[in-house]
Amino acid sequence: MRLAFIGRRLAMLVASLAVASFVIFGALYLAPGNPIAALSGGRSLPPSSLRILEARYHLNQPFLVQYWYWLDNALHGNLGISITLRENVTTLIASRAWTTAGLVLYASVIILALGIGMGIAGGLRPGLLDTSVLVTSAISAAIPAFVAAIALVALFAVKLRWFPALGNGTDLLSNVRHLTLPAFALGLSSLAIVARVTRSAIREEAGREHVQTAISRGIPRRQLVRRHILRNAAIPITTISGITIASLIAVDAVVETAFSLNGLGAYLVTSAQDKDLAVVQGISLVLVTAFVVINVAVDLAYAVLDPRVALGSRAT
Amino acid sequence: MGSRAGRSAALSVTSATIAAALLLAACGRTAGSSGTATQSPTKGLVATTAPGTKPVASVTWALYRDVNSLDPIYAFDYPENTAVSLMCESLLKQSPSGAIEPGLATLSTPSPTKLVFTINPGAKFWDGHPVTTADVLYSLDRNTNASLGGFYGLVFNRVASIAATGSSQVTITLKQPDYWLQGELASIPGVVIEKAFAVKQGKKYGTPTGSIMCTGAYKLKSFVPGVGVTAVPNASYWNPAVKPLVQQIVLKGVASDTTLTSGLTTGAIQGTYLSGGLSTLPQLQSGGAVTITRGPGWFTDAFIVSNTKGVLADVRVRRALSLALDRRAIISNVYKGAALMPRWLSNPGSFGYGKAVFDRAYLASPLMSKNIAEARKLVQEAGATGKTFTIGTSAQIQNIAAVTGAYQAAADAIGLKTVLKSVSAQNYINFFIDPKARAGIDGFLTVNYGDYADPASMLATLVLPGGSQNYDNFNDPQIIAWLEQARSTADPNARAALVAKAEKRVATLLPWIPDAQPVSVLIMSKGLTGATASFAYMFAPWANSLGGR
Repeated sequence: MRLAFIGRRLAMLVASLAVASFVIFGALYLAPGNPIAALSGGRSLPPSSLRILEARYHLNQPFLVQYWYWLDNALHGNLGISITLRENVTTLIASRAWTTAGLVLYASVIILALGIGMGIAGGLRPGLLDTSVLVTSAISAAIPAFVAAIALVALFAVKLRWFPALGNGTDLLSNVRHLTLPAFALGLSSLAIVARVTRSAIREEAGREHVQTAISRGIPRRQLVRRHILRNAAIPITTISGITIASLIAVDAVVETAFSLNGLGAYLVTSAQDKDLAVVQGISLVLVTAFVVINVAVDLAYAVLDPRVALGSRAT
Repeated sequence: MGSRAGRSAALSVTSATIAAALLLAACGRTAGSSGTATQSPTKGLVATTAPGTKPVASVTWALYRDVNSLDPIYAFDYPENTAVSLMCESLLKQSPSGAIEPGLATLSTPSPTKLVFTINPGAKFWDGHPVTTADVLYSLDRNTNASLGGFYGLVFNRVASIAATGSSQVTITLKQPDYWLQGELASIPGVVIEKAFAVKQGKKYGTPTGSIMCTGAYKLKSFVPGVGVTAVPNASYWNPAVKPLVQQIVLKGVASDTTLTSGLTTGAIQGTYLSGGLSTLPQLQSGGAVTITRGPGWFTDAFIVSNTKGVLADVRVRRALSLALDRRAIISNVYKGAALMPRWLSNPGSFGYGKAVFDRAYLASPLMSKNIAEARKLVQEAGATGKTFTIGTSAQIQNIAAVTGAYQAAADAIGLKTVLKSVSAQNYINFFIDPKARAGIDGFLTVNYGDYADPASMLATLVLPGGSQNYDNFNDPQIIAWLEQARSTADPNARAALVAKAEKRVATLLPWIPDAQPVSVLIMSKGLTGATASFAYMFAPWANSLGGR
């Protein structure tokens, strides 16, 4: 059962990677533009240099031949060479993966802790607290990450000087300090969604018959909340948390650019603009893998939270 | 020259910008607005800032994007140029004023076709090895080595041979006299790297995992993509007159205007040269955290006429369009005042030699002011009323879009019609390199520059047959003759006079239509001083005097 599940997931991952790599390669190939152009800014390069560079990177070959060059190398563990940096893609990605991983992780912690916390508080305590959770989440859900970034920098970096406006930091502590504003900018709207879903899941469970029965049986509130409400509300909360956290991977490019962080997202955008095929492919593979892995984690969480859910089938 | 999403890069075709009303006021008047023969066309601009006096621990210097390569033969855009010029040195050197001085070598010209370079006996690389003739030969040869595909091969097209003619002497023999080559050798193509080191590095030379070996006052500490290029003082710099004061300079790509602004305001970034528009400049100006210095610019904001057949093929129509263009609006809206009204295609900041000759000729030329009545008459004469031309543009590049708007307004005012072919910011570059992208358009916009302080440096690329930017096969025998003659003329004043003649004729034939002459804008945090303020920072060490005030 477990083995079959893992096997199925691995096969899905490989299939996703294969399809994604082909589609992305094709899309980038079809997009107008010339990767060599990124090297020269807005001036014209001598035609002889252009020809040499095009031959070096197989840019003068048909699409399928180019893709085959890439695929063949990738299967041998070589993700290729960046045209703009003349450097191994693996090296370039590895040096940036930690920033993105750290940022997404930090934002996830914020989303889970604050989002679920606010949702539970609002769900269990109707009244002023609930209203303020609703208002806060309505506002923050409506703020896109790039606006949040500007607002956070204006307030906490420029005005109050509590946090740095940009960059990564040098050691662990300064890394955390540097990533705080980006993590909030990244997590803010997801946090609101998680809070709202949590709140309504809690509300719904609290109104259910079995909970009412438990109340009438005089079960202590603490136990009631934990065993009867939270446990049952956990499935929708896990689902929405999984989806929002996986989606951070996509939004993260905006935040990394706004804070000048050396992460994968910002690099993906620049490379796509430069038509630096090998880099775009490499980063896409990493991101697709991360996405699949997060979804597997969510599936595992379902099985743990609710023994009735068979591993690999979606909870309802 | 680039532009990436907003202020990006590929298109530095954008524009250098800036500086605000305050500065203008300080300047007295907009340079070039009236002008008599006694005044300099670049009055009010400074080429240098006062040398720093105090040590500084660390400076983060912003570029519009990250550096891609530290190999000089691939340095062709603002970020790479700024990094290479910080740490590496050329055979000759461009001073901030644009004058060519001795660099790693001194030059003598025993005959018009011989350039003899004598390497400075003290000159040595960061690792202590002296600069040898082998290093010089190797470095120059890399430019034209076909297997490397460097970007500067064309500048050596009058060279017959390069050889060592003494223990510290290299002689370049020319097929015919070439006084432009000296300018190039005072620029990026003249950078000398250590042969043994580069051979060992092979393909890795100048890449992030590789390294470089140069001679400058700052040496490379690390090159980490996404983090930046870090330079530290070279304690054993060969020229004892220079004492680098900054313990660490980090060159970092900062992609957005907002990030750059908040960085400069909070001190996370301490300096930058603007290579594109900066919408927040007035804010920085009034914020008080930085000083903004305006220096002579060597670049030009212009409309490239790229179609030989359309309505713009008629010189009367080009003149009419030029006469109808509201350049003052471009200068105040796009450049926030940090640009000059043009009289020629080339920026008067680029007069690096024969200055008096250039200044006099320049100021004797009329300002390109607006004259709608005259423009309408020309359009009627040409029988072009109601005809249409197509502008290649990008709505995503603010400055390009704004100048495009000015051209639409000009066309409107004189009875011409315009069609826009708008592409994405990252595809704008294709107008420059892909004939297919230029098909069907009559012209597009650029901010363009040459490799050294000589109006001829950029001019040659667009008016000489086969020039890399001569998109409309512009071919005027008179202009070609003057420029070719200038290239072979030893006397700087005589050369300047010839180039000036060519510029005057270009200003009437308008193969490109100048829009504005940007000034070079240097922004440094209040505590810093000493960086080069002119456009020379692109080609020669700019931080040798940088330090605390």
